Amino acid sequence: MQHGRPTGRRWHVTGACLGAMLIAPPLTASPDSFEVHEIATGVYVHPGKPLPLEAAGHDDIANLSFVVGARCIAVIDTGGSVRTGEALREAVKRRSARPICYVINTHVHVDHVLGNVAFSADRPQFVGHAGLPAALERSREFFVRTYGADLRDPPTAAQIIAPGQTVAVGTDAVLELGGRRLIVRAWPTAHTDCDLSVYDSLTRTLFTGDLVFVQRTPVLDGSLRGWLQVLGVLAESSVAHLVPGHGPTGSGLAPAVAAERDYLSSLLAGVRREIAQGRALQEAIRDLSPAATDGHWLLWNETQPRNVARAYQELEWE
Amino acid sequence: MSVAEPRIPNRRSAAPARAALLLALTGLPALAPGDTQAPASGAWQNMRSQLYGTRAIGESGDQLSIEAPASTPDPAATPVVIRFGKELSGHVHQVRVIIDNNPSPLVTNMILAAGVPLDEIDLRVRIDRFTSVRAIAEMPDGRLEMRSTWVNASGGCSSPPNAAPAGALGEIRFHASDDGRAVQVSVRHPNNSGFQIDPRTGDPIPPHFISHIRLLAAGSTVLEADTGISISENPTLRISSARPLGTPLTFEATDIPSQQLFTATWTGGSMSAGSR
Repeated sequence: MQHGRPTGRRWHVTGACLGAMLIAPPLTASPDSFEVHEIATGVYVHPGKPLPLEAAGHDDIANLSFVVGARCIAVIDTGGSVRTGEALREAVKRRSARPICYVINTHVHVDHVLGNVAFSADRPQFVGHAGLPAALERSREFFVRTYGADLRDPPTAAQIIAPGQTVAVGTDAVLELGGRRLIVRAWPTAHTDCDLSVYDSLTRTLFTGDLVFVQRTPVLDGSLRGWLQVLGVLAESSVAHLVPGHGPTGSGLAPAVAAERDYLSSLLAGVRREIAQGRALQEAIRDLSPAATDGHWLLWNETQPRNVARAYQELEWE
Repeated sequence: MSVAEPRIPNRRSAAPARAALLLALTGLPALAPGDTQAPASGAWQNMRSQLYGTRAIGESGDQLSIEAPASTPDPAATPVVIRFGKELSGHVHQVRVIIDNNPSPLVTNMILAAGVPLDEIDLRVRIDRFTSVRAIAEMPDGRLEMRSTWVNASGGCSSPPNAAPAGALGEIRFHASDDGRAVQVSVRHPNNSGFQIDPRTGDPIPPHFISHIRLLAAGSTVLEADTGISISENPTLRISSARPLGTPLTFEATDIPSQQLFTATWTGGSMSAGSR
């Protein structure tokens, strides 16, 4: 079923339309500033910025993607603000007039879900892990209080949209886009307790959400041991393209997973050693969070102490 | 040894951040604008007059200190370390720990046995927002000393439980330091603050927390404390003594509202002890 595959010509035409649009006054911030790359046929990725969550621009730090099928389009993660979600939606609309039928959230974190409401006019099916509704429920009030400026004014809990279709661990969901299908897999507790990956059958592209970080220090908010197990499974996958939750695409799955396993394994070993020596939580944090040097993971200083704290609280009960 | 004392909810500063998953990618969530100001001292001024009246409280010298991270890596489990110098060690009768801007500021009221040369007490606490954290030590002669520090945080009182798989309620673990001077004891317990949300119903999870703990060494009480909802999930106490504590160590913890008693005894050596 190849009829729906976007042709080079089609995108050429779209590009011409984009050129015309740029002459017209921009509706909001200039739309062309929202960078999107087609990394494989019909697979588009907006690269998130390598910024901390409290920096200006913090609402645009995750990789956001969309996949265009012959029938319709799936969006994977919507950004850390309604603004970002709207910019992503405009980017989709500039490239295809097909309907957006799915919006998939790879997990609960704010930088992946706050843009959901920007897509509500498209009436898509929102898709998430079976644990996502509960995780969103726990987070709703915190999001509104802490990230109110990233929602529509006035900020309301109703803007934080939960999935209408959920995927349980062990039961992949298949989303038919026309000419290609997305396989959505729910994972046991790893980065969070609601991690999803998405695999595009046509281009063999794997969207890992934050199960895989490239360059940016991985953030532990689920289970360190669980995450290492999940990476053990992911390492067996053979894919053509990797879209990590953060960091550049194009690195390949195997090296990305290997680097992250190295980091998490070393965190595991370090924290286990501290606990075995009877070192206190604050001592473990100090011992295992040396200031970043060149070549370290990005945002190490901001991330590492908390990862140690979370790992310690998990592993002291082994 | 009675340590019962009313807990003092601080309604004014409650601003109960009820639903908060700490989702910060960086672990350092953005602060609301109001939180960047110096912590309000109203809660402490109220408590000071209720607990200590007009008694003088010393705030200088090197015999007492309190340490906490200025910007906590984990607001739901922030380490707080209280240290006594040589002159105070073994001569502190009571220590209260207060987090001014938490919904329930009084973290604990600890009674220490005379003559046990404790030089450090570590706790893990929830911190809801930018606040002073203070320790007030009372000597047997009634002399008071206080030290405080500031901690920047957000949402610690309403964070959901750690997503890592949890063990059995009431399981107790002991960990000793390599030099044998420090021992940590923890009890598996949600220590629900009452500010967390049940995701299924959207209702607050009722408070269910360890309200009293006691640590005995060789049959004698070393430390006994009333504890509240500002103590983190899986309540943890770590103490360090200039002289090794006698063994066996026995830990007792009682919760509210079920009044269930969790206890375990540890003879040293192995890292963990049986529970219940």
